Amino acid sequence: MVPAPPDDREPDFLEEDVVETPLEQLTRHWMNERHAPDILPAQEALLAALLDHLRRQSDAVQLLRGDPSTSEEEHIRIMLVQTEIERVKFIVRSYVRTRLFKIERYARFITINADIQTRLTAAERDHASRHVPRSTKNLLHAKLTDQHFYLEILQSLPEKQSHLDDTPMFVPPMVTEPDTSRPVFVHALKQCPTVRLPDGATLDMKKGHVSLMPYAIVEQLVARGEVELI
Amino acid sequence: MALPQSLRTSVTPPELELVASQLLIEIVPLISMEKTAFISGAYGPLRPPNKAKIPLWMAVNLKMKKKCHIVAPEWLNVDYLQDKLTQETTGPSFSSLPFRFTEIAKVILDVASDDVENPDKLRSLLKDLREARQAKSREGLKTLDHSELSLSNLCSMEINEIRPYFVQSMSILTQLVRNPGPDPLRNP
Repeated sequence: MVPAPPDDREPDFLEEDVVETPLEQLTRHWMNERHAPDILPAQEALLAALLDHLRRQSDAVQLLRGDPSTSEEEHIRIMLVQTEIERVKFIVRSYVRTRLFKIERYARFITINADIQTRLTAAERDHASRHVPRSTKNLLHAKLTDQHFYLEILQSLPEKQSHLDDTPMFVPPMVTEPDTSRPVFVHALKQCPTVRLPDGATLDMKKGHVSLMPYAIVEQLVARGEVELI
Repeated sequence: MALPQSLRTSVTPPELELVASQLLIEIVPLISMEKTAFISGAYGPLRPPNKAKIPLWMAVNLKMKKKCHIVAPEWLNVDYLQDKLTQETTGPSFSSLPFRFTEIAKVILDVASDDVENPDKLRSLLKDLREARQAKSREGLKTLDHSELSLSNLCSMEINEIRPYFVQSMSILTQLVRNPGPDPLRNP
């Protein structure tokens, strides 16, 4: 006999109704960041709390390791805690690297767009500006690439074409921008407000709804945690 | 670079497995352990032979050291999957399965095939299910437009599999119908 699923829902040990733990939150933000074409708001407090927790767990493991009288069962317990530390570290690392990748890619755009800057941490902003010239504020990645382009090519071009942010006719812009029209797979975590689709129709997403649509449509819903990208 | 090329547009199956391994599963422990605080929550105490709920990754770890038996989730049995397969092959829509069933089934069949009944039959049923559903999602590509495509009951691994074609096809459709109104390239 097939066991009857409890109250209409499919048996699933994915318990979405309970409050998310910090690790579950970070996992969701990590997956969102991996799928979203744009840079999402930084999760500084969450990340700091988890890093703190990681440190405490590592310290506890070190302490227990030093004790020579640990039993075999205690040994397994330490091994499990250690394994979890590595799992969490992997997620943290991948999350930070994903953001770093986008920041380097869109460095020039970040320096001229105030909205996207609000979504970065102070350290991330510094890194982005590492690459823009002094003329456009002191931002580092943007600075480095700009200097490189200028020295190699731009300085030899006519004055009218020697800037990266020129908008000559019939030529796509040279500043790389996030493509927010890129489609993403969306999974509704709760009943969502109505969204308007590119073809003019509207869509009400119920909890559990899965859909493919342009990122721009669900940008707000992702930021508010009403949907996740999968 | 900060992110290798292969990870830029999608996530990989091992990463999905990592996410799925956080879900809780029942075990019959063979060792006892005090209740322990982990980053993801507190688990235990383990008192053989009482069943306990712990994350899948932990169960896999203990299983590989022969310190527990994994209790298969209620959907991982021949009757249930056979039933789903019948639904899948007779109806036009996707039957509903747990969102991460592929990952979980794979992990359990890999490390704990001695804890489930008839693992070979399960494997072949899972394969048939996958093929039946794959055929349907390919059909779904026909109805794709630039706007939206609902994919109810599609599961995590299946979405990852169709992602490249679907995202690219939809991007192309978007370019084709893009509103020809204010175009910065044409109106200097």
